[in-house]
Amino acid sequence: MIQPQQPYTGQIFQPTQTFSPTAPQPFYGNSFEDEPPLLEELGINFDHIWQKTLTVLHPLKVADGSIMNETDLAGPMVFCLAFGATLLLAGKIQFGYVYGISAIGCLGMFCLLNLMSMTGVSFGCVASVLGYCLLPMILLSSFAVIFSLQGMIGIILTAGIIGWCSFSASKIFISALAMEGQQLLVAYPCALLYGVFALISVF
Amino acid sequence: MHPAGSAAAGTPRQPSKRRIPVSHLGMADPHQLFDDTSSAQSQGYGAQRGPSGLGYPTASASPQAAFLADPVSNMAMAYGSSLAAQGKELVDKNIDRFIPVTKLKYYFAVDTLYVGKKLGLLFFPYLHQDWEVQYQQDTPVAPRFDVNAPDLYIPAMAFITYVLVAGLALGTQDRFSPDLLGLQASSALAWLTLEVLAILLSLYLITVNTDLTTIDLVAFLGYKYVGMIGGILMGLLFGKIGYYLVLGWCCMSIFVFMIRTLRLKILAEAAAEGVPVRGARNQLRMYLTMAVAAAQPLLMYWLTFHLVR
Repeated sequence: MIQPQQPYTGQIFQPTQTFSPTAPQPFYGNSFEDEPPLLEELGINFDHIWQKTLTVLHPLKVADGSIMNETDLAGPMVFCLAFGATLLLAGKIQFGYVYGISAIGCLGMFCLLNLMSMTGVSFGCVASVLGYCLLPMILLSSFAVIFSLQGMIGIILTAGIIGWCSFSASKIFISALAMEGQQLLVAYPCALLYGVFALISVF
Repeated sequence: MHPAGSAAAGTPRQPSKRRIPVSHLGMADPHQLFDDTSSAQSQGYGAQRGPSGLGYPTASASPQAAFLADPVSNMAMAYGSSLAAQGKELVDKNIDRFIPVTKLKYYFAVDTLYVGKKLGLLFFPYLHQDWEVQYQQDTPVAPRFDVNAPDLYIPAMAFITYVLVAGLALGTQDRFSPDLLGLQASSALAWLTLEVLAILLSLYLITVNTDLTTIDLVAFLGYKYVGMIGGILMGLLFGKIGYYLVLGWCCMSIFVFMIRTLRLKILAEAAAEGVPVRGARNQLRMYLTMAVAAAQPLLMYWLTFHLVR
């Protein structure tokens, strides 16, 4: 549990980087040049983030089941913030609602998916997938900045984007959890969740 | 001695923190103000702390590790991590006592085809012939394989949709506020709980031998939310006429559905023989079934009429 510390080889009163309480990989060594790059240490992998974003943006492309193996919350956090920012541009200061609804929705989906699937899911995985599939909703709220969504075109656009979001989310869940014949059943609660987000954007 | 060393450690004076006499370590600096823990010859230091330590490795005594090497923080870290592990074990063990997860999983083993057929049955139960649940070696088959088996997916989704549609309806009447959503949700949940308790009490009093479990009952009573949603949506689109028409149709359907389903559960022997019910015991059971089925339309109306103007 407590990693044996390297014997102190420097001088007293001179700072060196020998103590890193959260370094799990011993081979990273103790000197500054051997430390991993910051992004790698934080677990942010831009290539994976980009791949997952592309999976969301092509709803008709078959998803790979293994992309959700590492739960990464950096992308979803960025998307949530971007959503809040576009809402802000439209004059609605509703970060609180966005966070609250995401939390409740993620919890609900987590319980439902654990009950419906053979293998369980972790909460991080659910939060990650739902966060990534929020991306089309950002498009909707940026439209709301330019013109009001309360007409017929707005309703059709909203319905289309909700469908897009929930279809991608259910597609990723189905492929990651190997659930057959349940895509519409998973898409429906996702549609409810994204519907609430859309309500915030529209009204 | 240096009070600074003990004060920095933040512990009551321990013999291990006392400055080692210089002569023991061969250090030749009598003016040194702090413990010189910089060299590897701190075996003496480590050995002195050994007996008072908790058996953790005291490999080095560098200043950075002094925090972790301090026995109290060792203990704190160990306690913290074991507490986390214990907490997780406790939750996993006890969650099964309060919420029977494996039993619940049976009710969520559904697929799209089942949900479609069940929804059709809820709106039009008149043509369905065989209402008996199939069994497989004493356990009922999963809802996936038999459209007569109760499930919890539809009631749960219907409940959440009902709350959201109620919010929408209130919004169109300009009566919306987020706490009203919570109010609707909790009042619907309260009525459901009341119903379940009343029926369980009646089943107990009439001493009926049935395999109707509580979760089954919750599932059956949750099916009425589907009709309620239909009624509210029609009411939003077409006004009061649409609301009354659709609600009336759904009330009839749920009445027939409940009678046909509960007859097989509560009046099991009589239904199996196919003979009309006779005798006091069977009469009571028949009345109970009728009462449960009649309560459904009443509640459907009660929970929705204030949403449609």
